[in-house]
Amino acid sequence: MADKVICVTSGKGGVGKSTVTANVATALAAKGYRVAAIDADIGLRNLDLVLGLENRIVYDIVHVVQGVIPAEKALVKDKRTKNLFLLPAAQTKDKSAVKPEDMVKIVEELRDKFDFIFIDSPAGIEEGFKTAVTPADTIIVVANPEMASIRDADRVTGICEAMGKPEPKLIVNRIDPKKVARGDMLDVNDVVEILSLELLGIVPEDPNMVSYINRGEPAVLFEESIAGKALRNVAERLLGKEVPFMDIRVEEGFLEKIKKLFGGS
Amino acid sequence: MGLLDKIRQTFGSQPASEVAKKRLELILKYDRAGLPPNAINAVKDAILEALKDFPFIDINGVNINISENGEEREKIEIEVPVKEK
Ligand SMILES: Nc1ncnc2c1ncn2[C@@H]1O[C@H](COP(=O)(O)OP(=O)(O)OP(=O)(O)O)[C@@H](O)[C@H]1O
Ligand SMILES: [Mg+2]
Repeated sequence: MADKVICVTSGKGGVGKSTVTANVATALAAKGYRVAAIDADIGLRNLDLVLGLENRIVYDIVHVVQGVIPAEKALVKDKRTKNLFLLPAAQTKDKSAVKPEDMVKIVEELRDKFDFIFIDSPAGIEEGFKTAVTPADTIIVVANPEMASIRDADRVTGICEAMGKPEPKLIVNRIDPKKVARGDMLDVNDVVEILSLELLGIVPEDPNMVSYINRGEPAVLFEESIAGKALRNVAERLLGKEVPFMDIRVEEGFLEKIKKLFGGS
Repeated sequence: MGLLDKIRQTFGSQPASEVAKKRLELILKYDRAGLPPNAINAVKDAILEALKDFPFIDINGVNINISENGEEREKIEIEVPVKEK
């Protein structure tokens, strides 16, 4: 499979890398694929929280790099989804504890044992980002429909290109159809046009996301979650299926327009 | 916001999303070229200053652009037309 080692990155922080990683990895594992998710955000371990696995961690990625334990043995088995495994980040202050060549080695150790290996990149464009991207053969850039995030996504795209990587695929996260209809927020089409990247997913703003994360339960496991559905679609597209993009526009009726004009929202 | 502002906002100005799109397109053009946003204007001023004393140059037709041919190295292209005979 060409899309086997997948790095999820963004430049800007807090746009949804860990959310996308945890959910798409879960969706693929739920379909029966063997999936490993590596948290490459050294010092700011978070992927374990989204998956609800924080209490099960014994070893982390730095132990693997130091040779204390082989990568496969350090993996935490997911509690809900069979076939899903997490390699936690370390909480060390030394961000350079894992070098690009270390990550390449870890991925090589795991490659034959998994159908997919996800790497959840730290924010920024420093060494940690490069470490996360280096072993990847597919890069997913997550962006919010927002100025700074789009600019950073473009920067990251340029750096990936300079690293000789294939062009990243784009996930636009946290689209709010109401704000788009009001003309306050950029539309997905605008974002795609500005960045000119292949679109892999459109994930709407989901008011329940905070509660899924608070419970440590990925949104893809819930039929009723709209973000969950969008993220399941991403998993299908990674499997090469052509899934139409969800239409998340809101119809703005005449009444809404009048109300807006007169100060309502 | 008063009613008047609402009406002005609705009919007068562009939606924020359109403004954002235009701003981003410009920002990315310079980011991709690795140039500061006012670079072209600064270069243009310097070029015009250097050219202004040549009678055969059509100063009003001088054109400066960042090339967008997707080449490895970005170029600033300067077009200096000669005055019509
Ligand atoms: N589609 C969505 N709808 C609503 N909230 C979302 C959505 N996606 C992400 N969030 C929220 O955004 C916050 C940041 O998400 P996340 O931790 O995945 O970002 P990140 O890019 O991994 O951040 P960091 O750069 O710190 O690693 C979380 O609180 C999450 O609940
Ligand atoms: Mg994260």
